[in-house]
Amino acid sequence: MSWDGVTEGLRSLVVWSMDVTAVPVIIYFLLINTSLLLLIALAYLEFRAQQRRRATAVSWQGAGLAPGVSLLVPAYNEEAGIVMAVKSFLTLRYPRHEVVVVDDGSSDETFARLEAAFDLVQVPRELPHEIPIRAKVLGIWVPRDGRTRLVVVRKENSGKTEALNVGVNAANEPLVAMLDGDSILEPDGLLHVTRPFADDPTRMVATGGAIRPVNGSRVVSGRIVRVEMPQTWMPRIQLVEYLRAFLLGRTGWSRLGGLILISGAFGLFRRDVVVEVGGLEPNSIGEDFELVMRIHKKLLDEGRDYRIEFVPEPVSWTEVPITAKVLRNQRRRWHRGLWETLWAYRSMLFRPKYGRIGSLALPYYWLFELIAPLLELFGILIVPLALLLGVVNVPFAILFLVLAYGYAVLVTLSAMVVDEWAFHKHDRWRAIWQTIAASVLENIGYRQATVWWRLEGWWSSLRGKKHVWGVMTRTGFDEEQA
Amino acid sequence: MIIGAALLVGATVVILGACVLLVILVVAVRARRHSRNQRDEMLMSPLRSALITVASGEDDDGAAAEQLTWATGVSRVVLDRNIVEMLGKIRGVPADQLVHVLEVHGAVDAAVEDLTSRSSVRRARAAQLLGLARAKDTVPLLVTALGDESVEVRNSAAYALGLIGDPAAAGPVLAAIGAPERGLPAATAAEALQSMGVGISEVLRDGMADDNARTRMVAAHLSAERSFTLGLPQLRRLLSDDPDLTVRETSATAIGRLGRGEDADTLVRHTADTEPLSLRRACVVALGELGDTRAVPALAEILDDSDPRLAELAATALLSMGAEGSAALAGHEDDPAVRTARLLVSLQRASA
Repeated sequence: MSWDGVTEGLRSLVVWSMDVTAVPVIIYFLLINTSLLLLIALAYLEFRAQQRRRATAVSWQGAGLAPGVSLLVPAYNEEAGIVMAVKSFLTLRYPRHEVVVVDDGSSDETFARLEAAFDLVQVPRELPHEIPIRAKVLGIWVPRDGRTRLVVVRKENSGKTEALNVGVNAANEPLVAMLDGDSILEPDGLLHVTRPFADDPTRMVATGGAIRPVNGSRVVSGRIVRVEMPQTWMPRIQLVEYLRAFLLGRTGWSRLGGLILISGAFGLFRRDVVVEVGGLEPNSIGEDFELVMRIHKKLLDEGRDYRIEFVPEPVSWTEVPITAKVLRNQRRRWHRGLWETLWAYRSMLFRPKYGRIGSLALPYYWLFELIAPLLELFGILIVPLALLLGVVNVPFAILFLVLAYGYAVLVTLSAMVVDEWAFHKHDRWRAIWQTIAASVLENIGYRQATVWWRLEGWWSSLRGKKHVWGVMTRTGFDEEQA
Repeated sequence: MIIGAALLVGATVVILGACVLLVILVVAVRARRHSRNQRDEMLMSPLRSALITVASGEDDDGAAAEQLTWATGVSRVVLDRNIVEMLGKIRGVPADQLVHVLEVHGAVDAAVEDLTSRSSVRRARAAQLLGLARAKDTVPLLVTALGDESVEVRNSAAYALGLIGDPAAAGPVLAAIGAPERGLPAATAAEALQSMGVGISEVLRDGMADDNARTRMVAAHLSAERSFTLGLPQLRRLLSDDPDLTVRETSATAIGRLGRGEDADTLVRHTADTEPLSLRRACVVALGELGDTRAVPALAEILDDSDPRLAELAATALLSMGAEGSAALAGHEDDPAVRTARLLVSLQRASA
């Protein structure tokens, strides 16, 4: 076949593809943008209410009804920062909390550092088996002073999920907070996220707090003393993503009563409810999402009156990936987790007994979170090809691109307004310009790369490929680096 | 095609225009906050020294307080806001002097007016100011505000009633928790009720019969906090029959704190393995708190329970019951639960 023939064939194929998909794509585009606008409107309503609450807040130090909290800290080879992290968790402003560190078979000095810093002594305690555990628990230690509310559990390595389940078994308080080992909590963070439990103690079963990237900020002794923008563009763009996800997405869904995702970096749960549903699923990639879905399903199946709420106040700060390799692994894992959880709970779709979860939240996640990268990839491939073959009007295509990415920037800017209005964590004017620039730059290369990585994650699950967790390389934070 | 292109151009212009507007909005929000902070700082600077003198209790001759009463216009508004913030942290003569300044400024009378303002933030702040000023004569108005359509106003009214501490408001505060559609957050209600003295014991007792689980829980919790034994029969009933597990656990804890010897039997009954594990644990802890040796045989049996946490809690409870409790541990010396409890008690004693 001649080159002209190939070109003509390709042109016909592209024209046909565009003809077939034009109407569905435009409908999808309208639907996704309208749903985002609705989420923004809902988030706006929620923030107006939050702002009124803040403007009229009275001091609450957690006296009276504040439930006790066990902070669960899974640690694997965290020798560099574990002591500082535990000290900062122990000194949070809260009337009753303990720290449960689960050393997940670290091969470094994680345990030795803890033992030396807190003068640990082993206790012959047996852990309850409320949540079944596969790995062997090697021992339990507590500080010799008899006062410091710290429990250190050592176990064979079996992963973060099971480490958290061991933590739940070891926890003594009615609420459990699931953290990342390197999370930095706001000093009043626990007071913020436990407040919904104190206000509605018989119905509240879980709350999630807003997470922010810590990269670039000045951290001293496990506390953020100055919030700064990350120094490179990759984490800056992730900051923009976090703003959108937490200040618009979760807030909007919480307002609607359809919150189905609480971040694994900080979530607070009623311990008895976590036990009742069998703890975190060790085989799940998206174990945080899966846990919340399991709670929803069980409580809705039983017709129980319960609430899961999102607290938009920044509660926890976490280090985000600074290399493409780590980011790729993270996004693959997230999308794989999303797919596997949505598939596992597909029976909840459109069933009246699952209320807004089944009729709104899950269809939204299927349509606009799971499938979105597939359609975006189609656009990324077909538009340049069509331009190359001269089958589309160039100004028309450019306008459409500007519209699509302009809309993405608009959503980010809405989140920025909310952040500036309600929290204004970044003092410097430069931060505003950098965030705006990041929201534009996100669409040039970064977005396309994450689309590909997400699809890789989905594909590897469909092929039944075993997931490899990979290592999140932390640069850490201390006074020198700040 | 032409219509499609026009639509596309129009939509793009709208989106890009909205982006520009949002950027302006971000900048404006920040600039407004900065300028407001600077203005407040400037207005407060001539008054700050006098305010600190009064708040720290060093204004013996009342000259500083007198100076504060002279503030006018925007300075007065900013000063009053600062005084309200400080009143939440200070007590005694300095607080009285600052309340006097607010009265001279007319802020207390204005707050009474503001309770019916259209703005929920104004109504809420007005309620808080009345509480901070300990304006007892406004209790009926604040009680009415407990039913406000805005949760911020209900919260602030309860907070104010707590500060005023009039036990006559206890009934409405407790009832407001379970108000349909307009409920008062339980945490605020509990804090307010805690400040209302001993005259609320009957209200709490009656609250334990309320239809709303949150109301019953707050009433049970506070009965224990305030050591109101009047509610003991209701607590026993809640422990046995309440449909809500959280209420039952709260009642068990409360009985542990203020129960009598005979309550050991009630608590022991609910340590049976037919009960939810969290309730069994709460009852065992409560038995340790109660300290009545009638529970020793039951606790000794729990040492063999399949739940190691429950066994450890039982061992800890027995260790707190003196010689009779310790004797019941005989034969269990090698149990991990008993060894752990002994070790932890000895560590705590050594550091005491």
